[in-house]
Amino acid sequence: MRFESLCVWAFAAFAFGVGGNSIDDELIIPDETESAGSGDQTCSIFGTSASSQENIEMEQLNTSSIEENVNARTSSEIENAGIVLFENNSIVRYPFDEELTLKPLPRNFMLASFAFQMQSNNLTVGKSEVSHDAYRHYTVFPKSLSPILEYSQTRELHLRFTHGRWDAESWGQLPHNGTKSGGSGVELWAVIEAASRDEAFENWIMLTNSLSGLFCSSINFINMEKTTYPVHSFQSSDQQPIPIFDTSKKAYLLRAALANEPICTENLTPFLKLLPTRGRSGISSLLDGHKVFDSNWHSLSMDVETVCDGDTCQYHMDANIEMVFNVQNSLARAENPIPKPLGDAELQCDESKPHNAWECFPLPQSKHIKFRLSELFGKKVVGSNLISENPSKVCAQVSDSWTVYLDIGDSLFSTDDNCFAIRDNELHDLHFQSDDTAHVVKSDDVPLFVSRSLTGYGQDGGGLRAVFRNPNNVTVDAIYFESLPWYMRLYLSSLEIESEDGLEIGDVIKSTFYLPAIDRQRPTHLEFNISIPAHTTVALSYQFSKALLKYAEYPPDANHGFEIESALITVLRPIRSEMRTATLLLSLSTPDFSMPYNVIILTSTVMGLAFGTLFNLMVKKLVTVEEADRKAAAKRSIKAQLIEYLARLKTNGNKTNQEKKRQ
Amino acid sequence: MALIERLQRRASDWGLLPRLLQLLPRLAIISGIIGFAWLAVYLPLEGEFRRTYISENALMPSQAYSYFRETEWNLLRGYRTQVKDLVNKHSDERNGILGSWLEEIGVKTAIHHDPENRDTLYGVWNAPRGDGTEAMVLAAPWFNGDGEFNIGGVALATALTRFFSRWPLWSKNIIVVFSEDTRASLSSWCHAYHNNLDLTGGSIESAVVLDYPGTNDYFKYVEIFYAGLNGELPNLDLVNVAVHVTEHEGMKVSLNGAPESEIGEDDYPGRMQKMLLGIRKMALAGVQTCYGNEAFSGYRIQSIVLRARGKEGPFDITTFGRVPEAVFRSVNNLLEKFHQSFFFYLLLAPRYFVSIASYLPAAVAYSAAFILASLDNFLKSNKHLPMGANAAFRISLNTATTFVGSFLASFFISQVFLQWQKPLALVLASGLLSLIPLFPTDIKLSLAQSHQLKSIAFSYLSVVLTSLLVVNFALAFGIGLLAFPMIFLANTVSPRTGIKNTALLVLTNPFICSCLFANIFESQLPNLEIISRLISAWKELGCWTWFLICIGWLPAWITVAISSLPAVFGQSVVDKTKPLDVDTDADADIKKLQ
Repeated sequence: MRFESLCVWAFAAFAFGVGGNSIDDELIIPDETESAGSGDQTCSIFGTSASSQENIEMEQLNTSSIEENVNARTSSEIENAGIVLFENNSIVRYPFDEELTLKPLPRNFMLASFAFQMQSNNLTVGKSEVSHDAYRHYTVFPKSLSPILEYSQTRELHLRFTHGRWDAESWGQLPHNGTKSGGSGVELWAVIEAASRDEAFENWIMLTNSLSGLFCSSINFINMEKTTYPVHSFQSSDQQPIPIFDTSKKAYLLRAALANEPICTENLTPFLKLLPTRGRSGISSLLDGHKVFDSNWHSLSMDVETVCDGDTCQYHMDANIEMVFNVQNSLARAENPIPKPLGDAELQCDESKPHNAWECFPLPQSKHIKFRLSELFGKKVVGSNLISENPSKVCAQVSDSWTVYLDIGDSLFSTDDNCFAIRDNELHDLHFQSDDTAHVVKSDDVPLFVSRSLTGYGQDGGGLRAVFRNPNNVTVDAIYFESLPWYMRLYLSSLEIESEDGLEIGDVIKSTFYLPAIDRQRPTHLEFNISIPAHTTVALSYQFSKALLKYAEYPPDANHGFEIESALITVLRPIRSEMRTATLLLSLSTPDFSMPYNVIILTSTVMGLAFGTLFNLMVKKLVTVEEADRKAAAKRSIKAQLIEYLARLKTNGNKTNQEKKRQ
Repeated sequence: MALIERLQRRASDWGLLPRLLQLLPRLAIISGIIGFAWLAVYLPLEGEFRRTYISENALMPSQAYSYFRETEWNLLRGYRTQVKDLVNKHSDERNGILGSWLEEIGVKTAIHHDPENRDTLYGVWNAPRGDGTEAMVLAAPWFNGDGEFNIGGVALATALTRFFSRWPLWSKNIIVVFSEDTRASLSSWCHAYHNNLDLTGGSIESAVVLDYPGTNDYFKYVEIFYAGLNGELPNLDLVNVAVHVTEHEGMKVSLNGAPESEIGEDDYPGRMQKMLLGIRKMALAGVQTCYGNEAFSGYRIQSIVLRARGKEGPFDITTFGRVPEAVFRSVNNLLEKFHQSFFFYLLLAPRYFVSIASYLPAAVAYSAAFILASLDNFLKSNKHLPMGANAAFRISLNTATTFVGSFLASFFISQVFLQWQKPLALVLASGLLSLIPLFPTDIKLSLAQSHQLKSIAFSYLSVVLTSLLVVNFALAFGIGLLAFPMIFLANTVSPRTGIKNTALLVLTNPFICSCLFANIFESQLPNLEIISRLISAWKELGCWTWFLICIGWLPAWITVAISSLPAVFGQSVVDKTKPLDVDTDADADIKKLQ
């Protein structure tokens, strides 16, 4: 119910945003032209799209796009829409860049990286939105985001939706060295300008609540229990100082993660809505929830930074959508959604082993492959984005064993660097072909392999064990960041190291930042500065005990356990990169919720018995049986008393009746 | 209060309390008989048990079509031919080859090295769309519980892993385990998984062990084993799912290795037999042949074993494979944990069960029998207590020291025989100690002393049984039943009673009794095998039965044995000079303490 209402809220916000944000609105006001193309360009577009009839039509199209995303229109419809929308936009130029990189990975996997970059117009520094009566003008920067950033005084915002497992051993380094992907679930960190930490936290809550509505996810569940203030991790990699608009204030870095948040279409749709192309043209037209979330690993990330040059400041936004497909499986699924057993003819048997009509030892996966991008994504690229300074770009990072062609209207093109610019409104497709799929562009070496697991099996406690393996020739320096919920009561004193090379804790952990948890107020915040020597494997483990929750703190549905968010490893040397461990499932002892009833009954019985006995002892007199008998004989029996009482009642009743009659 | 007062006075007028007190020994015996009758006679009656049902709706067994058929059979046969070639190879080589096949499928493999219990190959297949926090285990030990090479099982596990890897629907990781055997090495892997393995795949929710020895394509029926160690049972829902799925595929199910001829017997004796077989299996889990599910006990993992039986029959190996397929799909559906109320049950047939509230009275009756016997002995000892606080105190002190001595001796025995495995010595010593009632008559106990000793022994046993009856019902019931004849021990000097007492002591001695029981009912545990198995079950699997017998049952027995020294009326005349010529550690200890 809560979620639904959130979504309704968000849709309403979009409808509003879209309505107010349609292209002609933006173009009527030729203000702040530095970032929105040159003045005459804007004017010319204003001139050419002057038909009011058309504007109305466009608006309708825009507002209807909400349903469209739900109902997933066919590509031809979208194509038509695209043509109507962008027919005459060829001249306009906005600070927006988009690029799709496709990179085959070993074992028939393929990484698709969608990168979008955009900039806002100049900000008015030092004046709040409310007091400032000038027009706010948004071009390619999402209008829905800017006020949120402003209200909450956010200077930097990083949001991650990630799901799946990145197989670093086979796929190598994460894209962007891991700086653009988060742990499983939602991860959010922001730099907020505030006078005090309390104020920063207030702004943070405001920010999370707004983002929650914006992205249709439970980000509003972020509270004190989940928020940390990272000390060494999560620092921005570029050396630029964070701009502070009010010099009396300071910048605070806050971070939280929701490990149990399922990432789904509801998060992708708002994401696409932030893009100026809205998923209708350019590379984002490929993005479809069914395909994105059918991948082995996907990550939606958004980074907004405030960049100042002198007095003028702008928001720079990077949005990345990345996913890893298993090409064979995806192609097979497109053909037949249920992976039924193959037909006899399709079986590929190892000829060197016995094989006949009944027997077949499977061959390794075929190394030959030929497919089109549209087979993977279910649609083609609908033209370029048409509003950018640069055309949309599609690049394939492939080795010599691959050939890639761009297909425009059945004619094929190729380039030397396998990068293609998409220039007009036509449908573009990419052809991939390879004789040796195992031969791929080598990914960067992974500086460190990290895995983390829960140990122990008791209801009352357990352990955490993180394994670090350095496969390289150089020592790796890194920061290990962990934020654990308060109901995992950590014993840092139990920190132990397992190492076959005889390393001591002091050799590995150079410094520790530890902020113990406070029940229901603060998570455990742990940052280790570690250094792992070349070619060594080290396991760090520590114990924790499990707290008992109050009965209302258990999740309302039957309990499956509590997800523990991923740990972050920021490698500082030899190269800067980030990686995260998988999330964990912690099971706390769950009471049988019908038990309190039994307990209450039993306790009451025992109490009643004890009280009864004591009370009897105190108020009753101890007599011998004979004495009691004598007394009992002297006393009239209850029956006699009752008869007498009834008789008296009767006579009384007669009397009153008679009196009544008299009256 | 008047009514109660009247009742009480009526009772005291009739002398009900003294009469009841006189009846105590008989009440104890009746209580014991009720205990057995409740379980064996009453529960299998029509109307006293219920049909099983799936408690967790999300499981939905057999609701999806199973696709492990058609050409998957060809692949399975392809793997099987290769596995057959591995029979005579060293385990390293076997694990290496199988590991390479798994890697080809896309499974991350690792080998758990354990110098004591051989290496275990395992692989984690990460669910493409799951969050990777939970896992389901598919285990196929290289050698099954009977020591046969598990050709079909290993091939099936490999083919199923390949089959599973093509499906996108998994929400939990799948872990395949190929241990050397079903006992120590599987258990060692499971322990390591929860302690120090580098490659892990999240918390394990369920485990299915496949057992299909031989290269036969066809088989007759499926056996399901579910009894875990230390009285732990898998959630009934998992057993129900397995039974449901197997029967849905048309196969017959036999529980706990009941012979084929008895499958489908839905009559009173059939139900009784199957229930008693189940209780025996539970009580002796870890001691009997292990088929693999025992290794997962203690880690909150619901585990069962599926065994294909019969070399020929109407069902082919892919039909067998569809059972784990459907079970995995069911468990995969679980968004929560298994229902908490479904862990205590007895199965009378694959589809009949009794819940804890119905069967618990049986074990409670034995605790009650012992507490009644203890009360009886306590009252009798009070009757015979000599005048004078000093003498009475001395008797109580003797009782306490004897009991503490027996307890320490039992503990000592439990530890010594863990290292020094000589079951024969243990049984012989027990036999000798049972001769106590026939000892030369100049060692004599006062009657008060004798009763007091019995009283403390019985109340101890009762406490042990009471605390055990929910945790390990089968064992509590078993110990209660087998130790029950102890309450018949009488205190007289007549040689005939002495012989009777000796016979009772022999019968109720934990070790002799276990051996007798095993020799009568368990063909796999001939002679004194059960004692060494009890010890190895502790060492290899962590099964407590050895300690429960040694520390729960033995002290009571030793105390009772001492109490059955020929007794005299009047003052205690425990002889402190003449040593007892029984050369057990237990006796040595007792002597010292006395």
